[in-house]
Amino acid sequence: MKERYKKYTVDIPEDMKIPYACIVESPKVNGEQPQMLTGGWRIYRPVVDHDKCVLCKSCILACPDATVLLVDGGQKIGFNLDYCKGCGLCTWVCPVNAIDRVPELDFEDGVPFQDALFLLPHVERLYAD
Amino acid sequence: MAERTGTVKFLTGLGAVATALKMADIDVASSYPIRPYTGAMMMLSQMAARGELDLEFVHGEGEHGQLGIAHGASAAGARAFTGSSGVGVTYAMETYSPISGGRCPVQMLIGNRTLDPPGDFGSEHTDALSTRDQGWLMGWAHTPQEAFDNTLMFYRIGEDARVSLPQMNCQDGYFITHIPAKVVIPSQEEVNKFLPPLNFPDALDPLNPLGHGPQLFPGQGHVLEADRVNAMMGAFPVIDEVVNAFNAQFGTDYAPFVEQYRCEDAEYVLFINGGHAYTAKFAVNHMREKGMKIGLVRPRWIRPWATDVVADILSKFKAVGVVETNNAFGAARQAGILTLEVATSLYQCDKKPVLTAFMGGLGGEVIRLDEFYYMGDVLKKVAAEGKADRTAYWIGFHNV
Repeated sequence: MKERYKKYTVDIPEDMKIPYACIVESPKVNGEQPQMLTGGWRIYRPVVDHDKCVLCKSCILACPDATVLLVDGGQKIGFNLDYCKGCGLCTWVCPVNAIDRVPELDFEDGVPFQDALFLLPHVERLYAD
Repeated sequence: MAERTGTVKFLTGLGAVATALKMADIDVASSYPIRPYTGAMMMLSQMAARGELDLEFVHGEGEHGQLGIAHGASAAGARAFTGSSGVGVTYAMETYSPISGGRCPVQMLIGNRTLDPPGDFGSEHTDALSTRDQGWLMGWAHTPQEAFDNTLMFYRIGEDARVSLPQMNCQDGYFITHIPAKVVIPSQEEVNKFLPPLNFPDALDPLNPLGHGPQLFPGQGHVLEADRVNAMMGAFPVIDEVVNAFNAQFGTDYAPFVEQYRCEDAEYVLFINGGHAYTAKFAVNHMREKGMKIGLVRPRWIRPWATDVVADILSKFKAVGVVETNNAFGAARQAGILTLEVATSLYQCDKKPVLTAFMGGLGGEVIRLDEFYYMGDVLKKVAAEGKADRTAYWIGFHNV
């Protein structure tokens, strides 16, 4: 049975193999998986008003990219801006309206002014040839 | 072989599937109403309300959301179930590939319904067949009993670690979904023995965040596609194994891939998928009584398509008539989708039968016995002449 259907399947060389169903661990520290920095897509940056924040952690659960973090020894909400795409879900779920969406253009280090986010390593390789 | 034993019930196809789902102890069901599949969700919600089944019953905001709920539930390690019909199936189109690519073994019931226009209640297969290339296992039941059995078999095949793919458990709207028939229900212990609890690797967990369906690096896209092909085509030995295990345990005689009915000395056969095959079997019996050498061949799986099995079987005959209960506008030979698959399968054969198709059951129409007799007459003629005048005979439009 197996032999008969061998002609329909593809032998994938060891060095080309990818993780099962592309399931990978979420990045935990900045700079991990540098080819997959998605922060460069962001138009609005999440900014927390720490006076309003009640540390309910709804935003941590809602973030589709696991970019909302507890910082300062668990006393504050922070964002991993290398990966935050600026989707705004955290703002949407916040029960006390503590997360504002500020245009990236308003920041000196805003996405449009950064070279680094666009000169990703694999893009550099492509242009090097 | 064991004798088929259990409680005998009089159930529709939907009732049979709902009963099987309860015995499969599903964890999450996501619903959105559209006839004719909806009854299955009604029964599940009743089971949940009465406390008969520990079920998370979630109502989607539409079919797209409904499939998204099932995707998320499955990714979190739940045995998930959803379903739809007709335009609902096509409305959720975007979600099929991510679910199969993420290797989430969701089961979806499709009660076939004609697409709009006219959105007839009954049973064209074009809705489900439109999604055939999205990486889901797909097969049809032709009786409520088979719908019950398929529900259990599909989960076991789809959840097998060698496959790990979602499954479309299809049945003809009205003809199977709403017409009751005898269904033998095995005991819960037997079902537990056949279908082990789901063990989904890499389930979503807040304490161990994983990226499901992330972006790929350049140069990995075709590897992912090859992986998915291997999962789909690697399902063949698993299907063979599971169907045989089912037959051995429950005393049934399902063909793993393609059923042959009265084909022993047949010269021409009807190739027919789904509920109309039940009527066709009676028609074949009647035509046999009149001395016609006709048989019936019924695929149990559309995806994966058993190319070699279909070719081996069909190349034995002088003529093959594919009964299309779907329409493929402008496709090669202008018949239906099954003609494309059958013709491609036969291409590898040295000896090819005369191939034609019959367009019937479109818009959810019944295919009557006299219409099957007409097909028999056409097949007898084309088998004798060694050629067919048409690639597709439309029932009620063309003379023999």
